[in-house]
Amino acid sequence: MLVAPSWSEVGHSECIYSSYRDLISRQSETQQMEVLKEKVEEEEEAERAEQAERAERAKKMMRPMEVRKEDTTRTQEMLRDLERKLSEIEVSIPEKPSTFTKDAIDTSKLPLSYQSNTPKEEHLLQVADNFSRQYSHLCPDRVPLFLYPVNECSVPKFVSTTIRPTLMPYPELYNWDTCAQFVSDFLSAVPLPDPLKPPSYLYSSTTVLKYQEGNCFDFSTLLCSMLLGAGYDAYCVYGYGSQDLCHMDLTREVCPLTVKPKEMVKEEEKAPPKKYAVKPPRDLTSRFEREQEIKRQEGVKAEEEKRLKQGERLAEQESAKTDPLHGLRVHSWVLVLSGKREVPESFFIDPFTARSYSTQDDHFLGIESLWNHKNYWVNMQDCWNCCKDLVFDLGDPVRWEYLLLETDKPLLSLTEEEDDGMNDDDDVENLGKEDEDKSFDMPCSWVEQIEISPEAFETRCPNGKKVIQYKRARLEKWAPYLNNNGLVCRLTTYEDLQCTKILEIKEWFQNRKDMLELKHINKVTGLNIDYFKPGHPQALRAHSYTSMQPEMDRVMEFYETARVDGLIKREETPRTMTEYYQGRPDLLSYRHVNFGPRIKKLSLNSAESNPRPVVLRHSLPTSHPTHVLACQKITERFSRNPAKPADEDVAERVFLLLDERIQLRYHCREDHLTASKREFLWRTEGDSKGNKIIMTPDMCLSFEVEPMEHTKKLLYQYEAMMKLKNEEKLARHQAWESELEVLEILKLREEEEAAHVLTISIYDTKRNEKSKEYREAMERMMLEEHLWQAEAQLDYLAPFLAQLPPGEKLTRWQAVRLKDECLSDFKQRLIDKANLIQARFEKETQELQKQQQWYQENQVTLTPEDEDLYLSYCSQAMFRIRILEQRLNRHKELAPLKYLALEEKLYKDPRLVELLKVFV
Amino acid sequence: MNRLCDVEPRVMDDEMLKLAVGEQGPRDEAGQLAKQEGILFKDVLSLQLDFQNILRIDNLWQFENLRKLQLDNNIIEKIEGLENLTHLVWLDLSFNNIEAIEGLDTLVNLEDLSLFNNRISKIDSLDALVKLQVLSLGNNQIGNMTNIIYLRRFKDLRTLSLSGNPVAEAEDYRTFICAYLPDLVYLDFQRIDDHMKELAEMKHQCSVDELKHQESLMQAQLEEEQARWEELEGHKAAFVEHLNGPFLFDSMYAEDVEGSQLSHLPGVGELVQTYKDKFVIICLNIFKFGMKQQEKRKAELDTFMGCVQEAIQEKQEQGKHEIAKFEEKHLLTLSSIRDESELTNFEIKMAEHSENITELVNVLMTLEMQLVEQLEETINMFERNIIDLVGLFVENVQSLMAQCRDLENHHHEKLLEIAISTREKIVKGELDEDLPDAVRALFVDKDTIVNAVGASHDIHLLKIDNREDELVTRVNSWRAHLVDKIHKDEIMRNRRRMKEINQYVDHVQSELDSLEYSDLLD
Repeated sequence: MLVAPSWSEVGHSECIYSSYRDLISRQSETQQMEVLKEKVEEEEEAERAEQAERAERAKKMMRPMEVRKEDTTRTQEMLRDLERKLSEIEVSIPEKPSTFTKDAIDTSKLPLSYQSNTPKEEHLLQVADNFSRQYSHLCPDRVPLFLYPVNECSVPKFVSTTIRPTLMPYPELYNWDTCAQFVSDFLSAVPLPDPLKPPSYLYSSTTVLKYQEGNCFDFSTLLCSMLLGAGYDAYCVYGYGSQDLCHMDLTREVCPLTVKPKEMVKEEEKAPPKKYAVKPPRDLTSRFEREQEIKRQEGVKAEEEKRLKQGERLAEQESAKTDPLHGLRVHSWVLVLSGKREVPESFFIDPFTARSYSTQDDHFLGIESLWNHKNYWVNMQDCWNCCKDLVFDLGDPVRWEYLLLETDKPLLSLTEEEDDGMNDDDDVENLGKEDEDKSFDMPCSWVEQIEISPEAFETRCPNGKKVIQYKRARLEKWAPYLNNNGLVCRLTTYEDLQCTKILEIKEWFQNRKDMLELKHINKVTGLNIDYFKPGHPQALRAHSYTSMQPEMDRVMEFYETARVDGLIKREETPRTMTEYYQGRPDLLSYRHVNFGPRIKKLSLNSAESNPRPVVLRHSLPTSHPTHVLACQKITERFSRNPAKPADEDVAERVFLLLDERIQLRYHCREDHLTASKREFLWRTEGDSKGNKIIMTPDMCLSFEVEPMEHTKKLLYQYEAMMKLKNEEKLARHQAWESELEVLEILKLREEEEAAHVLTISIYDTKRNEKSKEYREAMERMMLEEHLWQAEAQLDYLAPFLAQLPPGEKLTRWQAVRLKDECLSDFKQRLIDKANLIQARFEKETQELQKQQQWYQENQVTLTPEDEDLYLSYCSQAMFRIRILEQRLNRHKELAPLKYLALEEKLYKDPRLVELLKVFV
Repeated sequence: MNRLCDVEPRVMDDEMLKLAVGEQGPRDEAGQLAKQEGILFKDVLSLQLDFQNILRIDNLWQFENLRKLQLDNNIIEKIEGLENLTHLVWLDLSFNNIEAIEGLDTLVNLEDLSLFNNRISKIDSLDALVKLQVLSLGNNQIGNMTNIIYLRRFKDLRTLSLSGNPVAEAEDYRTFICAYLPDLVYLDFQRIDDHMKELAEMKHQCSVDELKHQESLMQAQLEEEQARWEELEGHKAAFVEHLNGPFLFDSMYAEDVEGSQLSHLPGVGELVQTYKDKFVIICLNIFKFGMKQQEKRKAELDTFMGCVQEAIQEKQEQGKHEIAKFEEKHLLTLSSIRDESELTNFEIKMAEHSENITELVNVLMTLEMQLVEQLEETINMFERNIIDLVGLFVENVQSLMAQCRDLENHHHEKLLEIAISTREKIVKGELDEDLPDAVRALFVDKDTIVNAVGASHDIHLLKIDNREDELVTRVNSWRAHLVDKIHKDEIMRNRRRMKEINQYVDHVQSELDSLEYSDLLD
């Protein structure tokens, strides 16, 4: 609260302004500037002498500040005294290199703009330096500005040039909330080396993104770059924040995911009473008594609320320890001003948590300065009441001292200030230079284009995992496909502040084959609820259960449009099953089945023999009569069928299987209060004479709103009853099928849970193995084809064309000659080949003849071995000769064809075709 | 077709019908029941009377709900006695001796009609059968193609059989039918394929288009007539019909011989014209005012009806809720009473439940009484308002009519003046123009001409008065009728509700009593 002490005199801003302007205007006159510089330096010299002392004092002064924070009722005198003392405290920019340097950063590979300054930047640095000196001179009671920290190459860079407005190529990053969420997810926060000072360095966003690590200034610079790129009027803010804010401590914040959206109580618009609206019957109760009662109840309620609140507050206070450095912790965040991108109201974004706060929020305790890519503004307003009274009108030089003149911000008139300026003697030059001054704007950003690869964008958090601790809640996030069960987010809610007793767990999934989206586990009641996206094989929408065992309490909801039977919901308890339908052609909307107690003996028998005892439970009566007992009562309800008269349209039918009784209730007629009813009693035993009773009047009891003749007929009743008997069978069968389906779903769910297969979009070329393989195969084929084509295109004309002067057009004579040459050459080659084969053939024959001669001569003297040798040679030679003969014949056959083919080809050659046409 | 002629015809008497009904009725157990109870003819849905040698269709008037009737293979000569069978969907009269189609005008639900193998030579008298889908007319004596055009009016007709008729021997028989009945799917038990359709279209396009054009013209004319008629009805509902033009004025002169004769006088023509213009303007004013008032009355009535409906609905919901609540309790109590073994407890419970029933009656009756009171008040208010509205309307119309009368009086004076001056001219012999003899005859003497003008005036005034009286009486009778109807409806509603409540309570009470009774028996 005290860091930006109240400075009442506003005039100094003008001083700074004019001095700055003077400075710009007289850049050529370096002499004077030197003088000015010297003057400032002298002051600094004097200060530096006391540096050690100051540090000591600063520490001492911390205590009074604390005192003041707690005790705000101080006398004026004490305040002034304190102010004076405080004004002596001045923390200069630390000269020593920051303790937090990344040795890993390879500065040599960074581009030139990172390693040096352009002349324009140098110029800007000088301006900034001057500004800072004047500022510290004029406002000695304020901490130095955060103007030109060094970058990763230890080159000082002006903060505004570190901002590089970039619009990201992802549509998700077009809005501020998603941008902020991305920054907060993507980078992991590192605390400031000194929580009470801004860092001495500010790395480029590209480096920060590369290492996915940064302090609050890195965060806000990156976020600001992205927001400016997306068209927001965003600013980086250097100021003071609460401890929670600076340490990214959300343990005292309620998790946004746990906050239920406030139900909008929609006031039903009361239609104005119509002309003929009937008057309500007279109310005879006492109004006074009623009012008294209401008052009393309200009082009780208020009391209770108060008590509750008090208890809560006490608990909170206990947990929240007071921060000794309150109001001194340096933080950086982003300010978004209203006006652009339809932002209705200015707000802050904390880049660590990606949460937006109103500019009046308690977490933000003061602002020193703010900047964007164009300019730098120093706050000249008093921050005694945190940021609540600040006015963000950056065009107002009284409230916001700017570094560079800008054209797009509204400015106050200059003439008056000039008169009050310090350098009266240079008025004329000032006026002359003004236009030029305005044109001096911020140099381009030295930071390279900010790029985020799709992989990094998808992975988001460093290593794809992030954990955030909230008040009574813990939020864990994972990148998609990181967990093999598709888990992307888990929210654990605790009962107590120490986070020991788990209340409930919510798990979000993505890309699951079974379309599971959210799993909600309530640890207190043991209730699990699974929510599914459309597309589950059984059209499941939600499934809430306590255990996966069948015949337990469970509710299954379905996407009714995806089901043939239009089932919406099926509720089960150990003894009942209720189904809700919608959009069925038979207009069934509800079916409720009561099961009787399971017969012990039966279940024992069947449980072992049959893996699904439930199936037996309501198997049809024909299969086993004793099982019928299990299914006791089936209630079915139907919607009104407008095609039928109300007296014939059944609204509800109840099959009481134990009593063999069927109850029907019909729909109510439009202008009636009562509905018809009918009850059928099923009697199977014969009458006294042993005859089978078909139908007697007492088997059908009915109440009819409007008695009709034909319904009294026994025949009608008999037919109705027969129909109902059939329907009963059907209903029982359907109940049985439903039970089967439940088992099936449970089995399926278990399998799905065990396997958890993830789906991969066909557009995801990296993950989709099939498409990857296919693509690679395609590429390989393309390559092969290319090679093959290159081979096929062996140019037979090339050697002859090479003889001709290149680049010239062929004449007809040349073309003809070319063709003839080519053909004759080919002919020659064919002949050569034939000759070669002939020569070999002859040689082989001669050899054979020689051998034969030799054999003839020495036949008598030969050993059997030699003879064998000779014979094998003969056979081999004969084989060779035969092959050569064949080849020769084949060549003779093919040679003319080949010749003709070449001739044909030559005639069709694009280079010759024009010229040879005449001769064809 | 002369078969069976040697057989003696039979009469469709009760016996025959009963036998048929009994034979074709339900079987097995249901049949036993049916026999026990007897089947009423009006409950029969389907009846088969084939090969019965019936000559004359008779005695079928009791089968009100009959859906399907088979009278094939008889010797029927005339279609008759089917007037009461309005629910009939399926009628089979094949293999009979029918010569003309008739007596089917009331069978509006008929979808399937078979007249196969008869002696019909002309297709007509089927206009009432708008739902006709299947028509079988094979083996008849239809010889003229124009009969087919008659079938164009049946929009749902999909199946037609005409084979065995002289017409089917024509060369372009199939294409002709396909062209003129494009919605037909089956002809003579064969599906019409697309090729055939194309062929037919090509062949007969010209004539079919012409026919279509004529039909559309007729249709347009019909629609126009309908629209005009509706407009007039609207005007009539506003009681200002024929006031949006010179109709009233023309009617004034229609029966006025003297008036038209007098219009030949010099200067009278213009006078009548200006008079007419003014008169028509006033008429138009009446008309506009009347239409506006009609709208107002309608809006008033609508809001009233809406409010009444709302009030009734609300009470009905309350009543339903009460009954549902009671029903729940009722069932529980009944079962508990049934299980009760001790007599004293039983009696206590019985008494308790009787009290419950009485309470229900009280609640329902209170609701109903409240509603009656509320509605009475509302209805009275509405009555007052509607009387005011009608009164205002009548008053205004009367004042406008008075203007008409003034105009007429004014006109009369002018006319008289002209007539007298003309008479003087005639007497003096100064009249230049030639007048028809009839007109000249009026100027015989002064009295005659004055009388003539007076008579014309009287006729005009009478017409205006008549129109005014008609309007006033009609609007008043409408009002009286409306109010009466509202009162009556309300009374009827109240009675119905009372009856319903009583009936329900009786039923509940009887349920309780039956328990008592059965218990006592045990």
